[in-house]
Amino acid sequence: MTQYAKDYTVGELMCVTLAREIEDGDVIVLGSFTPLAYASYILAKITHAPNSTLLAYAAVDFRPFQLSFTRAEAAATRGASLMWTMLEDLNSVHLKGRGDVEAISSIQADQYGNINLSVIGEYDKPMLRGPGGAGAPEVIKMHRKMLGYFPSHTPRTFVPKVDVITGTRYVIGAKERIKSGYRPGPIRYITNLAVIAKEEKEKPFKIESLHPGVTAQQVVENTGFELEVPKKIPETEKPTAVQVKLLRKTVDPYGTIEFDFKPGKERLLYLNDILQKELKSIGYA
Amino acid sequence: MTIESKVGKLSDIKKIIKNGDKVAIGGSWLGSHPMAIIREIIRQKIKNLTAITVVGSIDIDLLIGAGCLSRLMFSFVSMEAFGLAPNFRRAIEKEGLPYDEITGLAVIIGLEAGGRNVPFLPYRGPFGSDLVKYRPEFYKEIKCPFTGEKLIAAAAIVPDVAIIHATRADHAGTVQIEGTSGTDVEMMRAARKRIVSVEEIVSTEEIMKYKEKTKIPKFQVDMVIEAPLGAHPCSCAPDYVFDPWHIMKYMQAASSPETFKQYLGEYVMKPEFEYLEAIGGMKQATILRRLAREVTFL
Repeated sequence: MTQYAKDYTVGELMCVTLAREIEDGDVIVLGSFTPLAYASYILAKITHAPNSTLLAYAAVDFRPFQLSFTRAEAAATRGASLMWTMLEDLNSVHLKGRGDVEAISSIQADQYGNINLSVIGEYDKPMLRGPGGAGAPEVIKMHRKMLGYFPSHTPRTFVPKVDVITGTRYVIGAKERIKSGYRPGPIRYITNLAVIAKEEKEKPFKIESLHPGVTAQQVVENTGFELEVPKKIPETEKPTAVQVKLLRKTVDPYGTIEFDFKPGKERLLYLNDILQKELKSIGYA
Repeated sequence: MTIESKVGKLSDIKKIIKNGDKVAIGGSWLGSHPMAIIREIIRQKIKNLTAITVVGSIDIDLLIGAGCLSRLMFSFVSMEAFGLAPNFRRAIEKEGLPYDEITGLAVIIGLEAGGRNVPFLPYRGPFGSDLVKYRPEFYKEIKCPFTGEKLIAAAAIVPDVAIIHATRADHAGTVQIEGTSGTDVEMMRAARKRIVSVEEIVSTEEIMKYKEKTKIPKFQVDMVIEAPLGAHPCSCAPDYVFDPWHIMKYMQAASSPETFKQYLGEYVMKPEFEYLEAIGGMKQATILRRLAREVTFL
């Protein structure tokens, strides 16, 4: 019998849910440093997906490492089997569709599989200039699965139509994807409330599972577009006791995955706290 | 015959970077940006530059805040976990800084086209993205001449100058990169002139010993500058990590134009060795190096 954890944070639940999306043998591109996603992949690698290949920065197929705020790049580099330029990475992974997963997040996401990392408002006169998409606008189409994680599930994030389409899944549905030369796979968003997914172009996103204590009504109210709401929706599988212990003691002892869930001011304090612990770990402070 | 030395000082960059140039800036995220060169550009008041970056951060934000840019090409500019880049946001939202937002793959492939001396390269590009629509000068939908398949042509990018920061080089300009190379190699191939700052200048014998670490041949380098900790406050993996304490200070300072001006005075508008003192000198350098060394594998 699987023993589920009695005590876990929503960050840990999302992290484990994303880790469960990883299949053994997957080729995983880590992209920008986002502690929650990094922790998921490393957790998957040391548990059920030891044959997966992790790529981050220039590092290819690096050994799993203990996460910290400052050291991900150094650790990936030191533990790499191979170092690539970005072009070598594209030529070897992205352009031929060899990537399985590169979880993204976005300022806005809509019912069509579009994401917006560009601007809120008009493109030429934005209210908010976002960071831009880096690889995200294209990897969501090229990789087998399009996975997104959203620490704040609100109608401001999940909008009927994004203000600007920075990128899009473009080809949705197994048949269509194969015909267009892409491997089939779903669009799946893991949020702080639920897991929602879209598998067919003509069908809306469906609530796949609800996090413990969350109702379908809550998810519908916090989503700005139509959702398919099945009569019976399973509960999102809770993290196991082993997974939570691994996260807290082994993968992420500094608690970096909670960073995304701290509101504005608290964030800096929390970060300072992590940095103090990191200093202590090397014999300072 | 003597071997030509390409070693220069930071102050020599004005021989290569001119007002109005298109400058490709190496490094990616908070890693390996040529920050010592960036600070020198600001000190020397080189202006009206078009910066080209794939994944930029404080390099771009500093140049914008100091008024050095008249245009920006980027796929991503962010201070990552520290937040959005303050000067970048302000310049675009309030001051209308002209920019070309291009997907990361198109910048990389565009640079590769520049390096191959062809006007474009085709790929299965960002169909359906508004960026294709907004910037037709960088994207065109084309038909494969063999199969008729629909493809995206990414326009070649040919920078006037590329600037990068690397681990080491010899006097002739053969460059080794041990950490995150990003698009540094592609930028150096595509650009007309190139400057590299390095942690250390070593003998050619040293380079030959570990030739597999060499990423850029000397004929793609015009100037080599020794600048230890020259990526600070960014990382130079695997030697030192980014400086989160300094970046937090920067974020605070860049939150308003007035405090940002103070930052420039306090850290940038002084000789580089004084910058290194101002950020905490040897003690801080040791901390950043130790963090990079003491990693734990699982």
